[in-house]
Amino acid sequence: MTSYLLTRIRQSLITLVLVSMVVFAGIRALPGDPALALAGEERSPKALAAIRESYGLDDNIVVQYGRFIGHAVTGDLGTSSRTGLPVADAITAALPITLELAALSLLLAVTLGIGAGIVAAVRRGKPEEWLANALALLGLSVPTFWLGIVLVLGFAIALPVFSASGYVPFTTDPLDNLRRMVLPSIVLGSGLAAVVMRQTRAAMLDSLSADYVRTARAKGLSRREVIGGHALRNSLVTVVTVLGLQLGHLISGAVVTEQIFVLPGFGKLTIDAVFTRDYATLQGVVLCTSAAYILINLLVDVAYSVIDPRIRLGGAR
Amino acid sequence: MRRKAVVLTAVALVMSLTAGCGSLQSSATEVGGERMTDDRPVRDGGTLTVALNADPDKLDPTLAQTLVGRTVFAGMCEKLYDIDEHGTVIPQLARGLPKTSKDGRTVTFALRKGLKFSDGTRLDAAAAVTSLLRHRDLAGSARATELAPLARVEATGTYTVKLTLKQAYVPLTAVLADRSGMVMSPTALKKYGKNFTNHPSCVGPFKYVERVGGDRIVLAKDPNYYAADRVHLDKVIYKPIPDGNVRLANLRSGDIQVGDQMTPVDVRSALTEPGLQLFNSPSLGYQGIGLNVGNVKGLGEKPGRIDTPLAREPKVREAFELAIDRELINKVVFQGMYEPACGPVSPESAIAPGVKASACPKRDVAKARRLLDEAGVKTPVRIELKVSTTPEHSRLGQVLQAMTKEAGFAVTLRPTEYATMLEETDSGDYDAFTSGWSGRLDPDGNIASFLQTRGAMNAYGLSDPAIDRLVERGRSEADPDERARIYEELTELATERRGLVYLYRQKNYVVTRKDVAGVRVYGDGLVRVTAAGYTR
Repeated sequence: MTSYLLTRIRQSLITLVLVSMVVFAGIRALPGDPALALAGEERSPKALAAIRESYGLDDNIVVQYGRFIGHAVTGDLGTSSRTGLPVADAITAALPITLELAALSLLLAVTLGIGAGIVAAVRRGKPEEWLANALALLGLSVPTFWLGIVLVLGFAIALPVFSASGYVPFTTDPLDNLRRMVLPSIVLGSGLAAVVMRQTRAAMLDSLSADYVRTARAKGLSRREVIGGHALRNSLVTVVTVLGLQLGHLISGAVVTEQIFVLPGFGKLTIDAVFTRDYATLQGVVLCTSAAYILINLLVDVAYSVIDPRIRLGGAR
Repeated sequence: MRRKAVVLTAVALVMSLTAGCGSLQSSATEVGGERMTDDRPVRDGGTLTVALNADPDKLDPTLAQTLVGRTVFAGMCEKLYDIDEHGTVIPQLARGLPKTSKDGRTVTFALRKGLKFSDGTRLDAAAAVTSLLRHRDLAGSARATELAPLARVEATGTYTVKLTLKQAYVPLTAVLADRSGMVMSPTALKKYGKNFTNHPSCVGPFKYVERVGGDRIVLAKDPNYYAADRVHLDKVIYKPIPDGNVRLANLRSGDIQVGDQMTPVDVRSALTEPGLQLFNSPSLGYQGIGLNVGNVKGLGEKPGRIDTPLAREPKVREAFELAIDRELINKVVFQGMYEPACGPVSPESAIAPGVKASACPKRDVAKARRLLDEAGVKTPVRIELKVSTTPEHSRLGQVLQAMTKEAGFAVTLRPTEYATMLEETDSGDYDAFTSGWSGRLDPDGNIASFLQTRGAMNAYGLSDPAIDRLVERGRSEADPDERARIYEELTELATERRGLVYLYRQKNYVVTRKDVAGVRVYGDGLVRVTAAGYTR
């Protein structure tokens, strides 16, 4: 297990370095001069030259990358060219918000998705399955922005149960935090819940018709033990894979959700940085997101090997 | 029982949704006349949250570039001069209007006594000199161009400042009524240098507390402010909410109390909401279509010859303008809530009123076709028009496309994101683009950089010695009547050359909740909150 883990960590670090290079080059390939974006309405050649010099934009790309990586390993991600605030501070402030949003959405997706998936599989051909399928279809097809605005109109304006925008840390006021996070979590989690429901249903249907389930039933195990202990446990491998893949989507999906609910998270930070060609912020954000993706993949692999030890053996071969 | 609960919840949900949507659909209410202030009495205390349409850039008056940033400054950084609701310049930190010598090259002004910056430092002439020199000289200063005519800045007494100019420069007072006139605490400048942006300290009703990038800028009532007894709010929070729909939803839910820069569509919706009220003021800026008539090497470089019918033939540009119906654009695209425009100077400008909107040429398709014939160009004349990615600008593009088609143009639209558009148009890589300017108090600020040969923002590649001469005369002419005549002539000339076809003038629409009073919205587009508060 330890050597498997070390190999995976080494692979992850190499991936991260390669990603940082691609990201760095990719951001600079974007059309739109950052000095111009920064100077905006009142650009004069003299001001533009000063901006370029002050952010080292005139330097060779290799020199710029070296400087970026050199600082990044010490935890210094530079300062935002737009606001003058340290990028690391902006990320530290934004990250918990997106993580909380992702965690709540995931919780919602897992509870609803797995629950509905089991019901749909167990009650195959019954109205419950039809209802679960219809909800999943709805969850997959409704555009995020539309759902967000409708929920705000319904539950923040007409019935002012929840808040329409903003963020209050859980530690400051847990109740207010939840009032503000429920709607965004529903918006972000609904799509994932639908995917999880479909995967659970399919995997459960496979498991329920498998020989070992028939054996378990023949042994006289209770319905709960057969479904929970045998069928579900085996179906979870597929569901965890999907969840791992979708977690990344959760973070990228947060971009739209955070715009609607004015949550100052990672997504909003990214969008603002893209539009203002704020290289430093964008690099920092993308690097951290990539690190998160890589870490999640690593954790999913580890989770596999815990759920099904055969996978670890295969990986270590 | 459980089934009944599900049905009831579903019904409640549907009803609440349709109630919300219902009021959004109505657009029968009319926008009234101009409304810039609301003087109902207010009580002390409370926090006001103002939603901006973008995140401001640096909170450093020397380096700041954005209009939204100016709105935040209006809450914490007073200027030597300000404007009132009529667009007239009035003293703010200065004691009276500046005195200018006969040759226009020496300007003196006195500062008010007993004023303190938010960090407790006293405001005196030395502080004003330090700030003015920093605005003029700091590398990357966005104020450098407008303060370039300053040769010397000196304190002639504890509270008097003398400016010596390289040449007569009439727009100076208006310039000092904007960010160039903001005085920063010399103590804070010394302590923080370029990092002043994270610790701004000025004279103002509110002082800087904190900024969370992309989320909020928090200001609190400044006890050092000279008129602190007339400031009612405890705190003001500025929150960037770029999407107009979301800004409106937050106004309705009460999460924010003031929505800045609302679009006509959102204003229509807001008017149906009993808890909201509207402020509007005419803008000093303009919006139009920039045409590439000579930008071959990029901004600031020598204009050259471009071999397209539009650039080559003035008649083709005239035909393009004649194919356009400005009134209809205003009605179709902007709900009739903006003003048609055909020149750089707002009719509302108190300095040199310029040509009135009614002087715009009427749409004349037959004449447009005739002009294309006379020019001997092959029709349809193909033009690629870069439009911003906002819904309003894509509608504007589509309407222009349809109108000009009838006269013999084939306009293709290329939606282009802001930073990319700046890069492409500045380098001359375009036929036509949607070009706008938020406007300045003095007409010079709306004209010089755009229309002068090799001007800092002349992306059109326009070069006309007559325009250049008039710009110089306009800057140095002290007599207001003569100045007005110069700008009228400049407007006519600019219209004739058509590097830029002026289309409309936006209005500043600000929506607030009804329990908020004392907010002021003037022609410079800033939301002033000094006197704001919650009604008693």
